Amino acid sequence: MTTTNTTSEQASPMTATSDSGLRSAGMRDLGPEAMARFRRVERAFLETTAARDYLEIRTPTIEPLHLYTSAGTLSPQALDRVYSFLDWDGWSGERVVLRPDATVAVARWYAEQGSADVRRVAYVQPVYRFAAEGEREVWQCGVELFGAPAATADGELLLLARDFLGALGLGSVTCELAHAGIVRAVLAAAGLSPVQQVEAHDRMLDGDAGVVADLTAALPQAAAALRLLSSVDGGSAGYVGNLRAALLPSVPTAATALDELEAAARVLDTAGVPYRLLVGTSRSFEYYSGVAFRMSAGGRECISGGRYDGLAETVGGVAAPGSGWGADLVRLAEIIGVRS
Amino acid sequence: MTPAETRPIRVALPRGDLRTPVAERLVAVGFEAEGYAEGSRTYQHGVVGREGIITRVFSDNDIPIQVAMGQYDLGIASRMWIDELLVRFPQDSIVPLRRFDIEGDSLVIAGAPGANIARLASMGVVRVATEYPNLAQHYLTRLRIPDYRLYEVWAQAEAWPPEDAELAIAPRAAVTKEGLDVLGDVHRGGVWLIANRAALQNRDLSAALEPLLALPQGTELEGVVVPSPLTGALRAMPRPVAERTAFRIAVPDGHAQRHTVAALADAGIAFKGYEEGGATRHPVAEDPDVVVKVMRPQDMPRAVALGHFDLAFTGRDWLRAFAASFPAAPIVELADLHRSNYRMGAVVSEDLPVETIEEAIALWRRDDPERTIRVASEYAALADEYARSRHLGRYSVIPISGASEGFVPEDAEILIEGTETGTTLRANRLRMIDVIMESTNCAIGSAVRPPGRRGELRDWYVERLSAVVAAG
Repeated sequence: MTTTNTTSEQASPMTATSDSGLRSAGMRDLGPEAMARFRRVERAFLETTAARDYLEIRTPTIEPLHLYTSAGTLSPQALDRVYSFLDWDGWSGERVVLRPDATVAVARWYAEQGSADVRRVAYVQPVYRFAAEGEREVWQCGVELFGAPAATADGELLLLARDFLGALGLGSVTCELAHAGIVRAVLAAAGLSPVQQVEAHDRMLDGDAGVVADLTAALPQAAAALRLLSSVDGGSAGYVGNLRAALLPSVPTAATALDELEAAARVLDTAGVPYRLLVGTSRSFEYYSGVAFRMSAGGRECISGGRYDGLAETVGGVAAPGSGWGADLVRLAEIIGVRS
Repeated sequence: MTPAETRPIRVALPRGDLRTPVAERLVAVGFEAEGYAEGSRTYQHGVVGREGIITRVFSDNDIPIQVAMGQYDLGIASRMWIDELLVRFPQDSIVPLRRFDIEGDSLVIAGAPGANIARLASMGVVRVATEYPNLAQHYLTRLRIPDYRLYEVWAQAEAWPPEDAELAIAPRAAVTKEGLDVLGDVHRGGVWLIANRAALQNRDLSAALEPLLALPQGTELEGVVVPSPLTGALRAMPRPVAERTAFRIAVPDGHAQRHTVAALADAGIAFKGYEEGGATRHPVAEDPDVVVKVMRPQDMPRAVALGHFDLAFTGRDWLRAFAASFPAAPIVELADLHRSNYRMGAVVSEDLPVETIEEAIALWRRDDPERTIRVASEYAALADEYARSRHLGRYSVIPISGASEGFVPEDAEILIEGTETGTTLRANRLRMIDVIMESTNCAIGSAVRPPGRRGELRDWYVERLSAVVAAG
């Protein structure tokens, strides 16, 4: 699942504010100079990904709403911001949406291929989400790797993201790494139902210290690990070792997740990319099943992604692992525009 | 002083079931809208002893839209209709100020006796009928039903289960009366005072706010219910549908009932339990292969398009309105019954010094070429189609659900409305400037003749009905 966010920070040299009222709110024009930068980013993206055997695909702008309503696709809060409507033949009540997320659409395409083969795909296409302020049409470039397990795919995707930023001439790349499976294992070991797990994790993300106290009460033997998770960010693979020592005796189900996180950290060690491990605060809990990451250049977040092993099956395909990342193409164009 | 500051404070009040309890309370706090309590047929009322305030009577469900648009500064409405707007448009400019001690109805999800939502969700696509599509979508999304279809009906959603939908989201009183099982709360109801946000920010509304905020307060509960999600519900395969053998007929209630009973009688057809003076939900035909159901005529084109009925009696206006939304829907008019004649068209103020809609557009835009022309109608899709076809340029469609004659000219430039004789229009100083269609009632069916005995039965009914019309 890939996500990109827009912030007021990106209201941008390329974003003209129209006072005429002739352009829809949240939509923008890209003039000749902006398009030249856009194409430069697109070219770098397609060349970098093609060199790693990622084949370009494109999915339709309109998809059925129900593709996004199953648990494990979009959260209810995200669904509240989709552009959905009844098509001209929608008398059956089946709503359609302007593609709110590229990954679910690409997973639907993969599911329709009907096998669990390894497929590497890249896309450049917009997603549409309501935002009270900021952009409502976001051009994403991204990759998805289906059928490959974490052991090989996570590292490949991290290095591909780094290479893409390198191809754009962006230096000072840093990364934030997380793993959804670790917190999930802890919450499950504390005896919480799937619904309670989501609620508890939301409280954690909101900085509610009480949730750690609640979990400690339910799982006293994991008290040290919970404090480590909630209050200490990791700076090296050594942190994962500390976490393993503190957590596994009481939550042995976290072992695989810790191994995957450590493997991803070691890939970044080898590549010389500085990183932070934010295990207890990874966002988008509902979506990710494994390693999730955000990569920045020069202090500005450029790429985000992660592992979503259940998605292909959720959208009707055979069970197959999946992972990917995406970037806000126009935002990257702005960054390189500012630099040049 | 700007024009906005000098214009009166405008307050929207509900008609229908809420009129009496609201009127009683308004009088008690010295906010007596002239003629409101008596159910006057005029729509605008002053307030006794309070200059600078006018009230206007709307259908309950239209009030939040009017306040959100800023056409009214304050309004009193059911919280269900307020939240129906707010869950879809959370950025909207409505501020709920206070709940009153009036118990409105609540909204529930219901199904046939013994129905279970989790089991239905695991069996396939769940069809849900409702008048509240935004609240329904909000609820079903959070329930995490993997695949559902919303039937956005005009009225009587509770009439759809179990034959024509698995579930209904409808007022509790209605589903209970229909004999359905309540499976969960969707909205807790209540009646609220709401305000337009910009009006609160920029205008002195205190002359109206002071008395209205003195109305007795109710317990302020959150109206919208957030259900616990169904866990582990994966996408189910399409529900297998067996070929229907019964020939299903939908007949209308309300205004159209009298005409339909008469048309059927002329053709020598009668259903027990469907007479001019009353109807049961399931009237009985003589032929055991024929199953009859009473529905709202507005919803029949959809029900036929869905394949639920082989024959339905509705108005050509509703058929046209449905086709404006869904031009590819597989439904056709089978027989024009030539009853309930009226003209449907664009209605404007009688005082407008123009003869054609083009002249009217030019006049409205004379001083402001970018002016938005507001088109109000119960037939929102038809109004939209009209605006496109007449090249209105920048326009907005205001969906309304009654009390329509009061909209023009203050709250809309154009009303898309039907009229039999024009008497009501004239009484409200309105006139039809552009006729869109002549409407009568008609029998409709699938574009594809049903197979077997159902097809034979359809032929028989259509021949009988058409023969009467042909005979004059």
